[in-house]
Amino acid sequence: MRSAAKTDILDTVSRKLGPYVLLFGFYMISHGHMSPGGGFQGGVVLASGAILILLGCQSHRLEGLFSSEILSLVETAAYFLFIMVGIAGIIFAGYFLASPFKGSVPWMMYTLNMIIGIKVGAGVGLICLAILHRS
Amino acid sequence: MEEIAITITLAMLVLIALTALLSRTLLVAVILMSVFSLVSALLFYLCDAPDVAITEAAVGAGVTTLIYVWAIHRTKDKP
Repeated sequence: MRSAAKTDILDTVSRKLGPYVLLFGFYMISHGHMSPGGGFQGGVVLASGAILILLGCQSHRLEGLFSSEILSLVETAAYFLFIMVGIAGIIFAGYFLASPFKGSVPWMMYTLNMIIGIKVGAGVGLICLAILHRS
Repeated sequence: MEEIAITITLAMLVLIALTALLSRTLLVAVILMSVFSLVSALLFYLCDAPDVAITEAAVGAGVTTLIYVWAIHRTKDKP
């Protein structure tokens, strides 16, 4: 972003509002099996919070915080982890993405929500970061 | 009561879409499309689909508006 287009209002509001949006995204991912929300929605909300923080901070500080190499690495690692969890379902429970856990606590749903949330957040954040870097 | 609310929301959607279609400036049209996304999120919530409402509010009002505003910023806007 060009620094001439920024005002104090944009700086203050985005820096104060961004962490709460991130917190709400984490809540939506970790509570998604009982309330509306889940991996994809929480991931998009996480990406929106990261974009808000990124709009608020100075342009020389956002390189270390959300580098595009780290984001693409995180996205591919989350995809690999998702496939590995599915194959672990084949090995331990019989079919793809089956839950190997017994009991009443839905550990499989927690795990898949976390992985999908991280993957979608990193992917959408990567798109917006690539767009903001070009301008 | 719910049908009346859904009908009012649909009428608001048509009005916002027509206003966005007839607006002169591109930026005004983009902001009106963001408002369209918010009102359609309200419509999804009234139709008992809160998951879709959350997704519509996050994607339509956040990411899509950012991409459109970036595209207007990058291209030359002749008024």
